[in-house]
Amino acid sequence: MISLAGRDILHSWGKFVLTGIGLGLLIGATLTMAGVYRGMVDDAQVLLTNSGADIWVVQKDTQGPYAEASNIRDDVYRSVLGLPGVAQAANVTYLTMQVLHGARESRSMVVGFEPGQPGEPTYLVAGRRLLRGHYEAIADVKAGFRLGERIRIRRHDYEVVGLTQRTVSSGGDPMVFIPLKDAQEAQFLKDNDAIIADRARTAANPSLNRPGVPGLLDAVNAAQTVNHSVNAVLVKVGAGSTAESVAQEIRRWKHLQAYTRVQMEEILVAKLIATSAKQIAMFLAILTVVSAAIVAFIIYTMTLGKIREIAVLKLIGTRNRSIAGMILQQALGLGLIGFIVGKIAATLWAPAFPKYVLLESGDALRAFVVVMLVCTLASTLAIRAALKVDPAEAIGG
Amino acid sequence: MDAGIHIEGLSKRYGAGDTAVDALKEVNMSIAPGEVVGLVGPSGSGKTTLLKCLGAVIEPTRGRMTLGGEVIYDSEQGGWKTKDLRALRRDRIGFIFQAPYLIPFLDVTDNVALLPMLAGRANGVSRARAQELLQALDVAHRAKAQPSELSGGEQQRVSIARALANQPPVILADEPTAPLDSQRALAVMRILNQMASQYQTAIIVVTHDEKIIPIFKRIYHIRDGRTVEEAGEGRQIS
Repeated sequence: MISLAGRDILHSWGKFVLTGIGLGLLIGATLTMAGVYRGMVDDAQVLLTNSGADIWVVQKDTQGPYAEASNIRDDVYRSVLGLPGVAQAANVTYLTMQVLHGARESRSMVVGFEPGQPGEPTYLVAGRRLLRGHYEAIADVKAGFRLGERIRIRRHDYEVVGLTQRTVSSGGDPMVFIPLKDAQEAQFLKDNDAIIADRARTAANPSLNRPGVPGLLDAVNAAQTVNHSVNAVLVKVGAGSTAESVAQEIRRWKHLQAYTRVQMEEILVAKLIATSAKQIAMFLAILTVVSAAIVAFIIYTMTLGKIREIAVLKLIGTRNRSIAGMILQQALGLGLIGFIVGKIAATLWAPAFPKYVLLESGDALRAFVVVMLVCTLASTLAIRAALKVDPAEAIGG
Repeated sequence: MDAGIHIEGLSKRYGAGDTAVDALKEVNMSIAPGEVVGLVGPSGSGKTTLLKCLGAVIEPTRGRMTLGGEVIYDSEQGGWKTKDLRALRRDRIGFIFQAPYLIPFLDVTDNVALLPMLAGRANGVSRARAQELLQALDVAHRAKAQPSELSGGEQQRVSIARALANQPPVILADEPTAPLDSQRALAVMRILNQMASQYQTAIIVVTHDEKIIPIFKRIYHIRDGRTVEEAGEGRQIS
């Protein structure tokens, strides 16, 4: 038996393929939206993996350091190190800011870390690790910096000595790694005018500038210009201990908040990007409905254009199910072309997006099933119209 | 009459009560196998209704119809003799329309072969039958062409081939020469006469076309739902 759907598609393949491409671009946008969500989740997981920590110790009653501000003393890590089961503990700071390079600015997350400790970038794609104690930086390639380039963070210039990859914040901003002391200064220190104003206020305070107590004022000023805060302590758990048991110890004895990897993932995925995920889900729902409406409209108008032929086919003895099959196959064919075009389009344009777009095969498979279901549903309107056609319409009068 | 078309007391009423319209009133008609008969009448006289009843697309109100020696409808015995009117149309009736209405996405061969295929015949057998008919109708050289590539006359010949594809005992032709010029109209009539004689098919040709009316040996005039039989000129087509 002749495939009526196949012949019809071949007969008007130009119109069919163009329509499929149009639908495909819409499906491509849908796949990309799903990819944006997957990318956000992956960014969050990569952020946690790159930190190399098993536990994040942060300020009590906060969900820092990525979801909320957290401020703890930089000597906390020593007491954490003393707890059983802790193999390594290191201070880190995180600050999202505009980093200047030349005349341009790049929005980056500046990370302060101690070399050889958790928080250090795990691998470099170019250059070397930090060797000097100050003013060297390692940047994610996405920041657009080149090796040897000088970038400005607050009041100091840093030389980019290494490049890393896939180290981004939960917001998708590339990371710039600098020595912890520099990062503390960049994050917590006041500008020169504020320091001068503070010193003037201190000098005017008779209790801090007592006559006959030499060195008191200098000591107070020195204390005001040095900062001992960090955002978090990253902990690596030793063999034989579990992250949860060590985290419980930290919570109980140190009056700090400690999150394990699982808890931190929960904070990042379920809380930090929850609103974005809902936003994307809404877009996905709207795009699915729009795709369904477009397929329904196209198949319906294509069917209406063939009413006379359908009447003739019915008059000469074609079964209703053959006619319904023809329309259904055309809808599915349109969906197949649309899906292929959409998948190719999404794969081609995903790297051009500023944030990471992760196109997963599972999502593609699910999208394929949804597209086929949507096309099947969308064809029912046209099938209904075709089945209503009276074969008598083929005979004049 | 055993074969061909035989109609007795066929009536068709549309609507009911005060708004009822009797489109056909006690129509009687007999057409022998191999005979081509004209059905002539003004607009609204009941030609199309008669064709639709004969084509098993609308149900008569009363009467009896026999196609190819088989009673297909008898109001005295419960109406249609088969529930599968689709199969009845496919196997026992050929249709030729005013416009050819070829399926635009099938080539000439498949337009003709589709009917035997729908009847369950193998693709090869169906295409061979199509080739045979296209040969007989002198359009075999356009077998692979799309309908849009054919002239009006060629399209009508392909539609005749399609009507003959399942060797039906009856062909209903609804103004088959209307869109054609005199020469092509006469050519189509020559073919219909030839096919009727060759395949022993009874053909009813509904027409307004003055050019072809003298060709029929018998003509049924239909007016206000009633038919009157009349001898035609039976003029030879030169």
